[in-house]
Amino acid sequence: MTSNISRRNVLAGLGATAGLLATPHIARAQASAGRVVVIGGGFGGATAARYVKLFSPETDVVLVERDATYVTCPFSNYVLGGFRDLSSITHRRDPLRQRYGVRLVRGEATAVDTNARSVKLKDGASLPYDRLVVAPGIELNYAGVPGWSEQAANTVMPHAWKAGPQTALLRRQLEAMADGGTVIIAPPANPFRCPPGPYERVSMIAWYLKNHKPKSKILVLDAKDAFSKQGLFMAGWESQYPGMVTWIAGKDGGKVESVDPRGMTVTAGFGKEKGAVINVIPPQTAGRIALDAGLAEQNGWCAVDPASFASRKAQNVYVLGDASIAGAMPKSGTAANSQAKVVAANIAASLRGAAAPAAVYHNTCYSLVTPEYGISVTDTYRPGPQGVAVVPNSGGVSPAQANAAQRKAEANYTMGWYAGIIADTFG
Amino acid sequence: MLPMSFRIHILAAALVLTAGSAAAQQRIATLDDTALAAQACNVCHGSQSYLSPTMPPIRGVDAATLYTALIELKTDKRPSTIMGRISRGYSDEQLKALADYLSKN
Repeated sequence: MTSNISRRNVLAGLGATAGLLATPHIARAQASAGRVVVIGGGFGGATAARYVKLFSPETDVVLVERDATYVTCPFSNYVLGGFRDLSSITHRRDPLRQRYGVRLVRGEATAVDTNARSVKLKDGASLPYDRLVVAPGIELNYAGVPGWSEQAANTVMPHAWKAGPQTALLRRQLEAMADGGTVIIAPPANPFRCPPGPYERVSMIAWYLKNHKPKSKILVLDAKDAFSKQGLFMAGWESQYPGMVTWIAGKDGGKVESVDPRGMTVTAGFGKEKGAVINVIPPQTAGRIALDAGLAEQNGWCAVDPASFASRKAQNVYVLGDASIAGAMPKSGTAANSQAKVVAANIAASLRGAAAPAAVYHNTCYSLVTPEYGISVTDTYRPGPQGVAVVPNSGGVSPAQANAAQRKAEANYTMGWYAGIIADTFG
Repeated sequence: MLPMSFRIHILAAALVLTAGSAAAQQRIATLDDTALAAQACNVCHGSQSYLSPTMPPIRGVDAATLYTALIELKTDKRPSTIMGRISRGYSDEQLKALADYLSKN
């Protein structure tokens, strides 16, 4: 196996000249196996690259990714809670190359020519494809919150909605604040990356404050009137952090109208509040390349065929993960991982001229209320006339009534899920 | 005697360890509805190339044992955290096919 992979790497490494140097026999074999380019090496893109190779090892797979390592948004709230460090949620993609023969190209995709079937990189290189997978995640809309800016985010009002330096900044601010201060968290309207994420963040910051700054408060100023796993989260806050968390719905004046980074204040419908720490989670769109490639709708997200995640805008292109409009599926790592398997199967089948297997999708989102108190939402989905839809009478959230052992079991499974999805995504 | 769930766990762990030590998973040989659906399980339960220390392994487990477990989870005869909710997303026939696939792959 090793020799096969290295032979492919050598041929692939020759890039555009490979066709000239290879014998006609090899050139034909490569042509029939096809070339897949994947833009984005997160949960969706990396899984797609790996599973194309698993379903169709002879296919040439190129994964284009801007960053050297991947810091997961899942578990970044535990860095804020103080019981995981960033290095433990930072992952390399080398196993995709070493074990599966995926070619890793470090670079930024800046344009896609869907007629010529070619991806242009920032350094000027072009990557031709037979099938393209676009999995760029999200773009943050800094202009979506008046008064806020990228500069404000990088200095005093972090979003921490892309994990890494932003997570570290928010953690440092929590460590620096005096006991008795107010942490303001401002989640956006739907749709956005990781629907339970802001509320798990509330829980993890409450965990830190309870143990280190117990006179402090958390104020959640929400653009929405309801949120994921709301009953479970609110019951958890009440039992684990009594009196610490106040959540204000959009309809009650919670929607943030503007922020003042100098004065460290937030103005919402009900008035102005000063925060010791302010976490602005802004509105979002599909990642920049999806917009620039013309794959997005007016609303900033990419419409896809619910049976395959094939783009509605371009042939031979698939858009998956947070960037896609996935019907009932949330924008989550598990959802992206699941969509990527369906995309990989569709690509492998189409390259060999076979019918694709029936799509079935899965999502599980675990959240921690405390390190020993886990809750979950899980669903199975199939394509339907209105898009991807939940299979009736299945799935749902953890029971409202559960004993400590059941909550502890879900906290343990949260850890197991993370280790598992990292292995399933990055190999 | 150990409870059934622990016996399954130990048996399966031995089988998967054997498979895992031979080689990393390099190919999914079949490309049909069941083979695709079964890949969803890998996220938590691991695969031929990854054995979870937390989740009960399912690959290589006897098909009848797996099918019985899935049906009992689906009907809440066997208590669970999320597998009851997940197994209700599939017909009995689909669960049977998944159990057969996972036992052999």
